[in-house]
Amino acid sequence: MAGFEISRRKVLAGSAFLLASTALPSFGWTQEKKGGRLVVAADSEPRNLNPAIVASNGVFFISSKVVEPLAEASFDGKDGLAPRLATSWEGSDDGLSVTFKLREGVTWHDGKPFTSADVAYSALSVWKPLQNLGRVVFKDLEAVETPDDHTAVFKFSRPTPFQLIRNALPALTSVVPKHIYEGTDIAANPANNAPVGTGPFKFAEHKPGEYYRLERNDNYWGEGEPQLDEIIYRVLPDRAAAAGALEAEEIQLAAFSAVPLADLDRISKVPGIKVIPEGYEALTYQLVVEINHRRKELADAKVRQAIAHAIDRDFVVKTIFLGYAKPSTGPVPQNDKQFYTADVATYAFDVAKANALLDEAGYPRGDNGKRFSLKLLPAPYFNETRQFGDYLRQALAEVGIDAELVNNDSAAHQKAVYTDHAFDLAVAPPVFRGDPAISTTILVQSGIADGVPFSNQGGYKNADLDALIAKAAETIDPAARIGLYKDFQKKVTEDLPLINVAEWGFITVARDNVKNVANNPRWAVSNWADTYVET
Amino acid sequence: MRLVRLFRSPEAISGLVILGLLGAMALAAPWLFPRDPLSIAGPPLLRPFQDWALPLGTDRLGRDVVAGLFHGARTSLAVGLAAAAASILVGSVVGTAAGFAGGFVDEVLMRITDAFQTVPGFLLSLALVSVIGPSLGVVVVAIALSSWTGPARIARAEVLSIRERDYVASARVIGMHPVEIALREVLPNALPPVLALSSVIVAAAILTEAALSFLGLGDPNRVTWGGMISEGRAVLRSAPFLSIIPGIALVLAVLGVYLAGEGVVESSAAREGQA
Amino acid sequence: MNRAFRLLRRRLVGSVPVLLVVVVGSFLLLEAAPGDAVDAYVVSVGGDAGMIEALRQSWGLDASPMTRLAAYLWALLHLDLGHSVAFSRPVLSVVLERLPNTLLLMGCATALSFFLGSALGIVAGARPGSFRDRFLSIGSLALYAIPGFWLALVLTIVFSVELRWLPLSGMETIASGKTGPARALDIARHLVLPVTSLGLIYLALYLRIMRAGMAEVWRMDFALAARARGISRRRIVWRHVARNALLPLVTMLGLQSAAMLGGSVVIESVFSIPGLGRLAQEAVGARDTPLLIGIILVSAVLVVAINLLVDIAYASLDPRVGASEAGA
Repeated sequence: MAGFEISRRKVLAGSAFLLASTALPSFGWTQEKKGGRLVVAADSEPRNLNPAIVASNGVFFISSKVVEPLAEASFDGKDGLAPRLATSWEGSDDGLSVTFKLREGVTWHDGKPFTSADVAYSALSVWKPLQNLGRVVFKDLEAVETPDDHTAVFKFSRPTPFQLIRNALPALTSVVPKHIYEGTDIAANPANNAPVGTGPFKFAEHKPGEYYRLERNDNYWGEGEPQLDEIIYRVLPDRAAAAGALEAEEIQLAAFSAVPLADLDRISKVPGIKVIPEGYEALTYQLVVEINHRRKELADAKVRQAIAHAIDRDFVVKTIFLGYAKPSTGPVPQNDKQFYTADVATYAFDVAKANALLDEAGYPRGDNGKRFSLKLLPAPYFNETRQFGDYLRQALAEVGIDAELVNNDSAAHQKAVYTDHAFDLAVAPPVFRGDPAISTTILVQSGIADGVPFSNQGGYKNADLDALIAKAAETIDPAARIGLYKDFQKKVTEDLPLINVAEWGFITVARDNVKNVANNPRWAVSNWADTYVET
Repeated sequence: MRLVRLFRSPEAISGLVILGLLGAMALAAPWLFPRDPLSIAGPPLLRPFQDWALPLGTDRLGRDVVAGLFHGARTSLAVGLAAAAASILVGSVVGTAAGFAGGFVDEVLMRITDAFQTVPGFLLSLALVSVIGPSLGVVVVAIALSSWTGPARIARAEVLSIRERDYVASARVIGMHPVEIALREVLPNALPPVLALSSVIVAAAILTEAALSFLGLGDPNRVTWGGMISEGRAVLRSAPFLSIIPGIALVLAVLGVYLAGEGVVESSAAREGQA
Repeated sequence: MNRAFRLLRRRLVGSVPVLLVVVVGSFLLLEAAPGDAVDAYVVSVGGDAGMIEALRQSWGLDASPMTRLAAYLWALLHLDLGHSVAFSRPVLSVVLERLPNTLLLMGCATALSFFLGSALGIVAGARPGSFRDRFLSIGSLALYAIPGFWLALVLTIVFSVELRWLPLSGMETIASGKTGPARALDIARHLVLPVTSLGLIYLALYLRIMRAGMAEVWRMDFALAARARGISRRRIVWRHVARNALLPLVTMLGLQSAAMLGGSVVIESVFSIPGLGRLAQEAVGARDTPLLIGIILVSAVLVVAINLLVDIAYASLDPRVGASEAGA
């Protein structure tokens, strides 16, 4: 990708580097590559940094270095997992218990030993009652038995698929210290803003509006880890700031596409900077058109199919995502190895067919060429969701649907779409978290209370689909469960409760001297124990 | 006499010419570019002067920059003029009333002005647009609401200083009604400094709209120059033309408004000097 | 001095209703906004109905708006600005943490635009219609017409990314451990670009007003008289014309103190400076009512104080106004 021509710029940059390196004090050349300070861009400051309560990528980005889960995603590990605080895990055949063997010799950052009591406490007092995702996955968790300090046995009141628990390990099982949280108001504990964990880095300080600083944990259990002395998250709220900061060497790494996609082609040619599209395989975001089925026109499957035919997915991928995405076929992304099936109903880009379907549905064009008007609310969270909103308005105009764009900020969007249902179409970016039961089925399932973000708030109700989801939730046998979710994908694409348009991972841009980047499928939100800066 | 003077100043002429051109662009937009300027017209990020059907190229989504520029003239000028007219009208009435009436009326009006002024104007616009949602009308109201205090203050300060002058005193002596004094003697003399500010307010209105668009609070269904600039910002270094072209239009519009305004003020001042 | 004291007392008493209007107004504005603090929060974390309900209760958002407004005003009466929802900390401490950065940025930018602007305005106004006059007027106006964020971005690309003369963003080098003069120098280097971006925007304003004011004063009796007495042009400019033209300029200074704060929202955002403007933007986004009102109150107090100074300056520059103010 990067073209390496010798340019004046490169020569200039090279000489600047020479100057810089002679000016620096003796950075032990003889020593191994350990040490160094990594400065990365952060675009927001989460209100709560406790990943056991808030399982979201914005929180993980910082706190995953401090607080560890039982297991992390891995490119080559068994079932796509690598051990962290748990060394092994096994489910019983009846789906009523899961046994974890825990790592020995691990201590918390305050020096106290890590034991099975911490896992039991986290599971029962935090993940199950308080965590946004854990409330669903661990809803039937009844007890955690701790026969010894390094064994934890999860007991479920109803059969719970071991496959689901396994897939949930990286994101849902951050373990927090019992001795700090027990007997306090967990949600208001000061450790939520200055987390204490077992990870390779300790939380050092947060200067609001400026930076977070993490420092090396000398007592980390990993052999020879961590390599870095320090990680600094520089708060750069402006979307255009990260690219300049990388070039000026004020930061060394920008994850989560902090450098706008449209700027990647240029920056990939800047000497000393690399563009890395890997490391987000298990963090797939999906571009979805949410539909309000309370609207008479949209309750008609033909209209929904027409809209699906009106969208040129290749254009979206090529122009809005500049190729850093894939067209979607259905609710499970193609890069998921367990559940994905291509055997679903598809909707090729076909304006003529879309027009014909709309005519058929009984919505002919009026004198002004318009069939009906809609309110379109693109989610404000990403550049791409807004740009897709702009595109969708034009695509709908081609088939005679007049869409009015309404741009809201986050709070107003949340209220309008998920609480008040004051929308016709909305553009949403839900995340696929390795198992459809974690955050995907909720997008189409009926009976969800108002106000829940990233859930079915479009008033869609399909008894067959609900039954299928319920059945899959209690099916223990992995193969049978996968079969049910393949049916699920088929049904969703046939009936189109929502329209999946594209799926994307983010892009990391880093200086060349940052090593061991993107070496697992959740890299940006993993612990960075082996990452280092070459000096 | 006055018109002749207006045309004698090169600044005023160039200002009027620029404004005339932009006005013509705004009026001609629907005839020259009947399609929605937000529709996709070609390949994305086409550079200027490559394709004569799209002379100034296309943006990130392949929308025609020229069409955007013409339609943007409509919205940007409309936003600027409407917001400025509203704020000057409200401001100079409030300011003159306060300055001339004095006493309790002055006190109340100035407290209200103070209250508006203590809230940073841009913040007020930002909060208002976030609250009601970004549409063109809301943007105009938000800008006007945050910028009427300037004219009010200046008008009041001028009136305060003018009402002590000899000709006002003599009007009082000959028994002129206070309202008549305010309208016939004070307001016309207080107006030039306020009008000198008017061009700055139009400019500020256009720029505030741009800054709101920059923060994602522009009307997504309309093209404005500010919106084009902030869209082009993400590709500022790989496709600088996308923000430079509407930027030039913006600078020209502000200059044109200003120079023309200046010409008017100067020619009226000169007439007065002669009289 | 006596007069200044009376003015001060009048102002302080007079500002109470102003601040009340501001507080109630901003409370109602955020109340009318779609979505509350909980909506803003769950966007980033997700959550189910029970959790949302619990949050609303624990943040005290389930009471009626009037109850909450009354409670807020009651606390305010005891000089308690309340608790920020987004930061889980007292509002006052959050605001005071950011205030110095903004004051420094605004102060430097105001000084730059005021002094450079009025100096150039005098140069331009000394000979109205000259080439120098036209060049300065149009040049400053062109600067004014460039959107602040765009100017800031271009300045950073040239001076930070390409030339690498100045730091790109932030208020000081992160965790540098510098103290004393070294730290002051570091902060000064970081401030050059933001102050320039913010100051240049308002430069034209002072230049225009100074120039317009001078043109106005030239025609007044005393200037004509001075000219008739054969006093040199330069002397008239400095001793008479410029001094009188300062009046509207000083008014503008008071006016601009609030506008600057607004302008700094965008500049602080581009340069990643943790200041009040950016904090206010975050408060609106998070629907953090106590924080936004706290910011507005603190900036209102600031503006009231600055305007008080301006009025005193005004009175000393133009005795006629001072007399009428004191008599009213």
